[in-house]
Amino acid sequence: MEERTLDQLNPGDAAHVVSLDPRHPLRRRLLELGFVRGAPVTVVRRAPMGDPLELRVNGTDLALRLADLRGIRVRR
Amino acid sequence: MTAPLLPPSVPDLGGLRLPDAAACAVTVARLQGAREPRVVVVGNPNVGKTTLINAVAGTRLKVGNWSGVTVEKREAHLSHAGRRVHLLDLPGAYSLSPHTPEELIARTALMDEAPDAVMNVLDAGNLERNLYLTLQLMDFGLPVAVALNLVDEARDKGLTVDAPALSRALGVPVIETVASRSVGTADLMSGVLDRATLGVAVRYPAAIEEAAQDLTSCMSGLSTLPPHAHRYLALALLEGDPSVRGRLAATGHQPLLEAADAHLAALEARGLDPLIEIAEARYARAGDLARVAVPQAQARRTFSERLDRLTLHPLLGIPLFLGLVLLVFRLTFSVASPFVDLIGGPLQDILSGWASAGLAWFPLARDLVVGAIIPGVGTVLSFLPTLLVLYLAMSFLEDSGYMARAAFLMDRAMRSVGLDGRAFIPLILGFGCNVPAVYATRTLERRSDRVLVSMILPFMSCSARLPVYVVFAAALFPRSGSWLVWGLYVLGMAVAFLFALVLRRTSLPAEGGGVLLELPPYRFPAWRVLWKHAWRRTASFARRARTTVMGTVAVVWLLLALPAVSGQRFATVPPQQSLFGVVSQAVSPIFAPLGFGNWQATGALVPGFIAKEVVVGTLGQIYLGEQAAAPAPLGLVAGITQTLGAAWDAVKASVSALPTVLALPSLSAGPSADTQTPLAAALARAFTPASGLAYLVFVLLYTPCIATVGAMAQEHGRRVAWVTVAYQLATAWVVGLIVYQIASRVL
Repeated sequence: MEERTLDQLNPGDAAHVVSLDPRHPLRRRLLELGFVRGAPVTVVRRAPMGDPLELRVNGTDLALRLADLRGIRVRR
Repeated sequence: MTAPLLPPSVPDLGGLRLPDAAACAVTVARLQGAREPRVVVVGNPNVGKTTLINAVAGTRLKVGNWSGVTVEKREAHLSHAGRRVHLLDLPGAYSLSPHTPEELIARTALMDEAPDAVMNVLDAGNLERNLYLTLQLMDFGLPVAVALNLVDEARDKGLTVDAPALSRALGVPVIETVASRSVGTADLMSGVLDRATLGVAVRYPAAIEEAAQDLTSCMSGLSTLPPHAHRYLALALLEGDPSVRGRLAATGHQPLLEAADAHLAALEARGLDPLIEIAEARYARAGDLARVAVPQAQARRTFSERLDRLTLHPLLGIPLFLGLVLLVFRLTFSVASPFVDLIGGPLQDILSGWASAGLAWFPLARDLVVGAIIPGVGTVLSFLPTLLVLYLAMSFLEDSGYMARAAFLMDRAMRSVGLDGRAFIPLILGFGCNVPAVYATRTLERRSDRVLVSMILPFMSCSARLPVYVVFAAALFPRSGSWLVWGLYVLGMAVAFLFALVLRRTSLPAEGGGVLLELPPYRFPAWRVLWKHAWRRTASFARRARTTVMGTVAVVWLLLALPAVSGQRFATVPPQQSLFGVVSQAVSPIFAPLGFGNWQATGALVPGFIAKEVVVGTLGQIYLGEQAAAPAPLGLVAGITQTLGAAWDAVKASVSALPTVLALPSLSAGPSADTQTPLAAALARAFTPASGLAYLVFVLLYTPCIATVGAMAQEHGRRVAWVTVAYQLATAWVVGLIVYQIASRVL
């Protein structure tokens, strides 16, 4: 299974969370919203100007910028 | 500590019962019943909490502000089945580890106000994430009852919701509700008052539990920390919650912090990160609970997903958004402007007529009433129709879930000036009216963002500035009027974005920390809630702006009434010889480099501080010597008849304008045939194209009107408001200078 960061996924891709960068500025918030180890994440769409991405985690739709997705490691 | 007693049908989810002592104490206090029990309402944003509390409390709901912050506080004293209860709605929170002012308020209230019970509102369609907050609540020793809201929506999604099973697993009552139709609200209140109880807390990994127990035992001797919050505080310390640490440090609990640090170091040495361990344990349990409560989930494409395919379409998304904004403004103009005209025109004239007649023997009082009080009140009132319509539209877009989409669409563009997508909404509202735009900055999370956006949004050309442009366009640029107007709007935006960059680099740096938007499911907002919101915001503007606006109007009137030259009488002095005229004359050389260094042009700018559209009226007064035509006094009956007639005309005009809102907008904001008025002719003589252009640029940029300044002072403090006035005046002068120097050589 290949491991990569969330910003490298495309709309329609699904993956499982592996880890968050310990220095991620949104680390606490992301954990609270369910970006815990093993949580399934789907990329729903890209915003018209290419950034941010809309993700579905835990039944919630969230938008995060590519810069902030770089700190989230996932496995397909 | 005993394991929870669960019926055999429900798996033991590994929860933890808290000691009963706290619960007993609370129950006793509640049942002794000397005072009315205090219930706080807690829930994630977008779970229909506001609608639910409206359904429960109805007209008894009082809305105010939490002290010191601009977050709405909703509470109600009501009686349920003969018992009194005080219901306090806490701001929406994803978690009790605060990231926003709203969450800090919610957490502080739970910790310090020791409510008798907690009503936790959940979105039945999104249990797992909602349960995270519920499980945090369980770490507080407070009796909880759960409102499982939006069950109708969950069933539409194809979910089967089993409230009794969730209740058994959580150990607290769970009541199904559909707030928008007031379903289950009575059961909910009974559940909260009679059956709220301590729930089954999460059992964290052994190492975490041991550390938490040790920390709670450190706290047990401290009278300074409320006992019901001990377990929560211990866990927050292990999570490294900065706000809890800060608070404990400030209240002299250093030994506790040292103990927490020792535990953190020990845990880290064992390769454990408590923040992650705790979150994982909560989510593991939330997942288990969600599977118990929603045994069957068959995914079905929801209405929201289908709508998003259109509204967030790669090509259509942004044009659709801009079209919607245009629609809102057209709605505002066509629906509100007949009422604005009514208030500013017939109503004020008739009242002035009566006042003149009634006070004929007291000239000074008459002049004060007719010259200052009636126009002052009129100015405040004339804002209200516009504000009400804008607030209604804004609340609709916000509560329906569309605003979050707009932020998603515009985020990339806003990032280039150091802001995030949410900042686009106040800015675009600024085109309608700067006042609601200032209040709309509340949707931003960080204070520096709120202040920054408020400071630049007056550069967005509000609708009140348009009449000034139109008059000048007619006088000086009859052929290219609409381009001129368009250019001014663009210039305003450019200057706003330029200052966003400048302020970001200098005094208001980004507080850092990434951007996260939730895109909630679309919902049709309840009209009652919308109307209440819009009405309350409008009324609060009227209350607060009253003093500032009327004060300013009175000062300007006084300046115009006071003669500065001997031989003139108070209140009958011509403008040029009044204190106002003399001061304008003295100030006017400042504007010579901008091409309009005469007292008339300078003087007309002053009332623009009250409301921008007044500039046109004042120019007329000055250039054409139009006295504020003393309206013919009408009899009482005639006056009332005429007022009612005019009001009816306004209603008709407003209703008949509704269909045209959808018509294609005409870009010709420029002059129509009949605008070559005497004023336009006078302006054509007094200004050159270059100086007229510089004047318009100055009017576009120079200062927010007094109502906006009042709103800014209320939201961010007086300092921010006055700094904004000062720097905008300077900007307007500089840009006006540049425009004049270039234009006078080119045109």
